[in-house]
Amino acid sequence: MANLPTKFSQFLFEQSTEKEREWLEEKVKSNVLDLMTAFVAAPRFLSKKNISYDSKFSGSLVPEHPGFEVDGWSFVRLARVWLLLHIPSGPKEQFLKNIETLFDTAELNELVALYSALPLLAYPLEWLPRATDAVRSNMGFVFDAIALRNPYAELYFPESAWNQLVLKTIFNGKPIHLILGIDRRRNKELSIAVSDFMDERSAAGRRVPIQVWRLMGGASDEVLHSKLIPLFSSESKLEKEAAALLAFESKDPKIRSLLANEPDLELSIQNGDLDWSKLESIPE
Amino acid sequence: MCQKEIHQTKNPSHFESADLREDSPTHRDILWEDYEHLIKDMRFFDPHIHMVSRTTDDYQMMAKAGIVAIIEPAFWVGQPRTGLASFKDYYSSLVGWERFRSSQFGIKHYCTMGLNSREANNERLAEEVMEILPLFAYKEGVVGIGEIGFDDQTALEEKYYRLQLELAKKTSLPVQIHTPHRDKKRGTERSMSIALEHGLDPSWVVVDHNNEETVKSVLDQGFWAAFTIYPFTKMGNERMVSVVEQYGSERIMINSSADWGISDPLAIPKTAALMKQRGIPLEVIRMVTYQNAIDAFAKSGQIDVADFETEFQPDPNAKFHGNSILRGGQQPVVNKNSLLIQ
Repeated sequence: MANLPTKFSQFLFEQSTEKEREWLEEKVKSNVLDLMTAFVAAPRFLSKKNISYDSKFSGSLVPEHPGFEVDGWSFVRLARVWLLLHIPSGPKEQFLKNIETLFDTAELNELVALYSALPLLAYPLEWLPRATDAVRSNMGFVFDAIALRNPYAELYFPESAWNQLVLKTIFNGKPIHLILGIDRRRNKELSIAVSDFMDERSAAGRRVPIQVWRLMGGASDEVLHSKLIPLFSSESKLEKEAAALLAFESKDPKIRSLLANEPDLELSIQNGDLDWSKLESIPE
Repeated sequence: MCQKEIHQTKNPSHFESADLREDSPTHRDILWEDYEHLIKDMRFFDPHIHMVSRTTDDYQMMAKAGIVAIIEPAFWVGQPRTGLASFKDYYSSLVGWERFRSSQFGIKHYCTMGLNSREANNERLAEEVMEILPLFAYKEGVVGIGEIGFDDQTALEEKYYRLQLELAKKTSLPVQIHTPHRDKKRGTERSMSIALEHGLDPSWVVVDHNNEETVKSVLDQGFWAAFTIYPFTKMGNERMVSVVEQYGSERIMINSSADWGISDPLAIPKTAALMKQRGIPLEVIRMVTYQNAIDAFAKSGQIDVADFETEFQPDPNAKFHGNSILRGGQQPVVNKNSLLIQ
């Protein structure tokens, strides 16, 4: 069994009725096939409610993954992840086969639970092909489960897969700030792709969400400079703010000097009033 | 399909009609313009339709005709599957993509899960399928074990039929029985007696593809009697009206079984229109085209009528959590009269 975080169990049982707790505890004492069936059957025995989130658990449900949050999850999803953590992790081959079978037969909500559990499962690198597949998924829930608020991608995705995940998040109009590690894993290749994407959208008369600009921080000074000049003269207040943040973050004197014309913005960044979080939005 | 000649003449399967002169007059097709007004404001539930074989046009027409919910039984895709993976993908599509596709047209999609009788004859594969079937039977929106029963009435078919009746008991799910095309009367009786032998409550069992010859016994023994309106081979809609006139609406339901054959996904609304024309009371029509199917399959605990009664506002622009069946920029309803395809 993978290390089952104590607080995770505690949190789950706080959400359960007595009957639900009995059912869950009985299932994890059972054999592995019954346990796998319980993973599937969970909605027939557990409440369909969304769990209420208590801030005392925030960031601490799984101490080694402070970004692992279950806010907004359904109770069934939480219980399914918990059940998965009880599948015996050895022998390795059998464990992999069991999890693969669950993936192969999963419907949407089960996939969501499986992908949510990836950073907690044993042999995390074995799940890399599955995780990158989820990024290609055309099922919104499945994509979200791997891309948003999930530490797995930041920890294990190679750069190309990481960039693909970020680009697809932008393309689907989803909130990139919910990708854990979005700032830590900025890279040059990504900023080139994002820059191309912005040009393409611009040519088609379409805009990109304002927070996408934060990814341009990884671009070369030359590219960034050429992008910032029109952005600073934009009529949109938000676009100006994004330009100011990028200029402020840059070490290049030529780029930094662009801020000289915007002393108010510079001041609010220095005071901590303006940062990227002000430009984050969750699309409808 | 290699059917023996004697079978072809006795009780035909799809496309094997022995006597078209006899079959043809039993089904009368009607144009949308001719029956639209007759079914206005009616709501339909098709408890047996194979959407995986149907097109987007069908979904659009079905929604327009008032079909708000459907059940897609797991069945034969037209050729035998060669490995477990094909079954997994097929079952997954029933609870995955097909359900989503249906939702895009405002139609609630449920399914029943089972190993079909024809493929039960491949014992090696059948064994493997039975191993994974519980993982699918317990899934959300699975409203029964089906369609199971007999095709050729072989020993292997019986073996897997019995095993699946036990699975239905274990999972507390209703059973949807496919009765054979050939030797139907005997196959139907045999299916029912085996179900009773396994201790199933007949009110949990829907016997499908009935005809004038089987209906009385099915009803007398307490089972649900489903009728498939399928042009030329199974039940014609005019014959169906007569059955309802004779037997009333109790425990009777109508479906289309529309699939890859020459079938009609609008069989229910059309039959409802015919019943209306013949003066069958509205409440009777409602029972056989909507309510009885819900009552039978809601025993699974998986049907919430609010999903299609109160929320029946199909919004073709709605997305399924950010995704759509529509390719970038496509409009949800295509004007087929337009020369320009934009």
